[in-house]
Amino acid sequence: MTRVVVDPLTRIEGHLRVSTEVDENGVITEAKSSGTLFRGLERILLNRDPRDAARYTQRVCGVCPTGHALASANALDDLFGVAEQIPKDALVTRNIIAGLNMAASHATHIYVLWMPDIVNPAYRDALVTVGDTGNAIWNELLGRFAPISYKLNGTAITPGTAYINAIKEKKRIEEAMALIAGKMPHQMSTVVGGVTYPPTVADIGKLSSYYLQVMDFINGSTLGVDTTTWLNNTFRASSPQNAVKFLQEHLQGLVDKSLTTNDFSHAAGWGDVEMLAAFGSELVGEKLLGLPVSFKLDKVGGYSKESNVGYLSFGAFYDVENGEGYDPLTFGEKSFIKSAYINSAGEKQSFDQSKITEETSHGFYDGEGNLHPLEGITDPVKTAAEIDYTGDSTSKYTWFKAPRYDGIPCETGPISRMMAIDEPLTTGLMNALSENGYSPVNVFTRMVARAQELLILTEQLLKWVTVDLDPNGKFYVHTDLSMAKDSEGVGLWEAPRGALGHWVKTGSDSKITNYQMIIPTTWNLSPRDASGVPGPMEQCLVGTKISAIDNLLKVDYANPTGIFHTGRSFDPCLACAVHTIDLTKKNKPQTYTIV
Amino acid sequence: MEKAVKTDFFSMDRRTFLKVVGAIGASAFLGLHQTEITKALELSKTKIIWLHGAECTGCSESFVDASNPDIVQALNKLSVEIVYHETLLAHQGIFVDGSPANTSELNSEMLLDEAIEEGGYVLVVEGSIPNGPEGSGKYLMIGERTFKEIFEKAAKNANFIVAVGACAAYGGITCGDSDIVDLTDFRGVAFQKEDKNKGMLTVLNIDKPVINIAGCPAHPDWVMLTLAAAILGKIDVNNLDGVVDQYNRPLVFFPANSTMHDNCPRRGYYDTGRLDTELAGPGCLLKVGCKGPYTRSDCGLRKWNGGVSMCTQAGSPCISCCEPGFPDSASPFYQMAEDQPLMASVSAGTIAKVGAGVAVLGVAAHAARRIVFNNEDEKQE
Repeated sequence: MTRVVVDPLTRIEGHLRVSTEVDENGVITEAKSSGTLFRGLERILLNRDPRDAARYTQRVCGVCPTGHALASANALDDLFGVAEQIPKDALVTRNIIAGLNMAASHATHIYVLWMPDIVNPAYRDALVTVGDTGNAIWNELLGRFAPISYKLNGTAITPGTAYINAIKEKKRIEEAMALIAGKMPHQMSTVVGGVTYPPTVADIGKLSSYYLQVMDFINGSTLGVDTTTWLNNTFRASSPQNAVKFLQEHLQGLVDKSLTTNDFSHAAGWGDVEMLAAFGSELVGEKLLGLPVSFKLDKVGGYSKESNVGYLSFGAFYDVENGEGYDPLTFGEKSFIKSAYINSAGEKQSFDQSKITEETSHGFYDGEGNLHPLEGITDPVKTAAEIDYTGDSTSKYTWFKAPRYDGIPCETGPISRMMAIDEPLTTGLMNALSENGYSPVNVFTRMVARAQELLILTEQLLKWVTVDLDPNGKFYVHTDLSMAKDSEGVGLWEAPRGALGHWVKTGSDSKITNYQMIIPTTWNLSPRDASGVPGPMEQCLVGTKISAIDNLLKVDYANPTGIFHTGRSFDPCLACAVHTIDLTKKNKPQTYTIV
Repeated sequence: MEKAVKTDFFSMDRRTFLKVVGAIGASAFLGLHQTEITKALELSKTKIIWLHGAECTGCSESFVDASNPDIVQALNKLSVEIVYHETLLAHQGIFVDGSPANTSELNSEMLLDEAIEEGGYVLVVEGSIPNGPEGSGKYLMIGERTFKEIFEKAAKNANFIVAVGACAAYGGITCGDSDIVDLTDFRGVAFQKEDKNKGMLTVLNIDKPVINIAGCPAHPDWVMLTLAAAILGKIDVNNLDGVVDQYNRPLVFFPANSTMHDNCPRRGYYDTGRLDTELAGPGCLLKVGCKGPYTRSDCGLRKWNGGVSMCTQAGSPCISCCEPGFPDSASPFYQMAEDQPLMASVSAGTIAKVGAGVAVLGVAAHAARRIVFNNEDEKQE
């Protein structure tokens, strides 16, 4: 056994340590996920004016602040009893702000945080074994996806074109957000009762202009075909099989041409998504398309048959077709992205938040129990000696708690959302993988789902801006602090990286008496629970090969791409994921009735 | 105007700077000086080590949104090299059986140590530095070391330090009042809230020049222009008198004698007494909690995200994120100052007199400012 530790796992938000045991065949046999920073923001919210929570909680995460602002605004709408009256145009504006943040976050993750993994020197070494074609592919990938300050064998590499251009587009999207929400990160507009700024006719014009500019990038770089054509044949395909058929035929056309010319450029039709779809997957690339090589990401970070995992979506983006108001608890049934719980067999069930529990047997907290998150007290270790990441899997090894749904660890994020809305391309690829003996959820399908969601969102954003938004509408409903007296609120939403819940409770002075957040990365990177069942990332690291392309060239413990890819495929956000503490026990355990 | 074009803005005092900016408009000003700024970065060959402490990555996100110059110009076409940055670089920490593995081309821990040992860099810190529990700093560990230890090593060898954002500068949200604040014991680089004796540098007994870029997040212009000015020698980091205020903020961005309120896009409504009492209106936001009159920043001139808008323009009260006491000094955010003690326990009761007319308004705001800003500032006027 060799102990391979990645710490810090960079190109994520926050500070993550992944410890693994790897056997002599280069297969990971055990994994531990550790969040290594503790901040305690929920604790800071106590005794404050609840209206401030939509600002404070954005500081949980500067990459997905708007997810928190929306979950918080929903919880506050509920707390103040105004959710049913939020004007339709306030809901549309919130959808636009949240949709833009999700698009910017996905673009950042795909291009800046994840794709640099593809230019790891291990892939160069593997691709040169495939001769001219391999070299052509490597040069194309390096030219697109190399990050800043990157060196190979002492030579400085020019940052990739797609990487650089994506940064510009991410900036443009955040500019569009700032236009109607003041600034980014930490936008200012979403408040209890609606939004602070009614977008003007001029703003709608500008947003449309931003849209066209972003679409120039998507049509010129992200995709090799027109976005509408792509979505007509995938997102709007008549069946999952037909979506995959379209993808296969589309890629086959590119492959047939390029394998003879060794031209894998944009000009030859290879968008970034096509590169990922063809070369990312062994099934698609090698078995269906006949490529001489692929990165086999569909064999990385998947679950085994013994895995114990479900998939969770809380739902996001208000249904604005039906006028004002929403129900904070059931809005996910009608929202654009649906709420759902999907079990490991792929069976969809309706989501019931009362089935959520959390416990801390492997977190640096004292106390035990498997409680609804609002029932428990989390009490951190208070001495330096107790904070030790080097113990075995029975020890405490992280600042994460272990959330479970009906006792099951759950993966959350774009892949779960695409399952929740039965997105044909994602589910079609999952079916095909499953039929061929692969785990349907793996690094490859996680990335496809994220890219597909980004493309779907661009279209939906245009509708919200140009069709649904009425600048002469209402954007705010009156609230005052007294409405929050002795109350409680639930706010559910989907942050870019997954299901996000906020719960708030107030006392007789309307001040916050408890504020809890359950965060996507806490689900995905959860540690073991009291029964020793590992979290989703821990589970899907086991069985993954440590080195590139199924250990194709060699077992290289010093370049553990299996850990890099798997960890990053969850788009982790560590600052979000670490829960707070209650040192003084001033606040006794409270039982919340979640209606 | 002509004079403004030719003026070296880094050497301006803040009064002249504001006058010039006021005369020609902020974006025109930055446009006029963009060549100079870009040149400043072009001429230099500067290494930056960017450390992430207890943070949310919002300041890195903001930095990536920079426009004057943008990050691509600054980092790749120009000679500013970010040698270490956890969110952006290809590298990561790799340990095999307990020992660092591979080389500094792939292993971020080796890269960081090599860069620190080589020296000659500017240290940028994002996020605060936990000192707890028990002074161990173990509430944040990276690569089997405490962040406190990494910061100590990097700070000792740095040319100077730029603390980017509220958390690195003053503790920010991580120092927000709570009953665990003493346990976690987060520190800014040189301050803890307003207290300059409680920064992590003091704990570690390190003496280095520190420039604080306030804000939650820090505005990318503030970061870029400060780096450019310091790198170019436009400001002497070893003698920052007259360049920074008592909280180490560059006066050019955080002017001592002016508040966000003075240049607020909604200022006209304030002057004519149109004070909104409900959010989502067009008027002045004072009565719905705006802390603009207590916040030293040029947000009203510079605006955010390519200059498209800013907090009060988008109908949100200013939450005073550029002040060292943020967030407590501005909380509750949506309640007018008269109801709450503000700005380090100083009651800004004077502001309650607003609403009677323009003259009274002006006097009240000025009085409030006098109460809020301490005597040292008044002397500088």
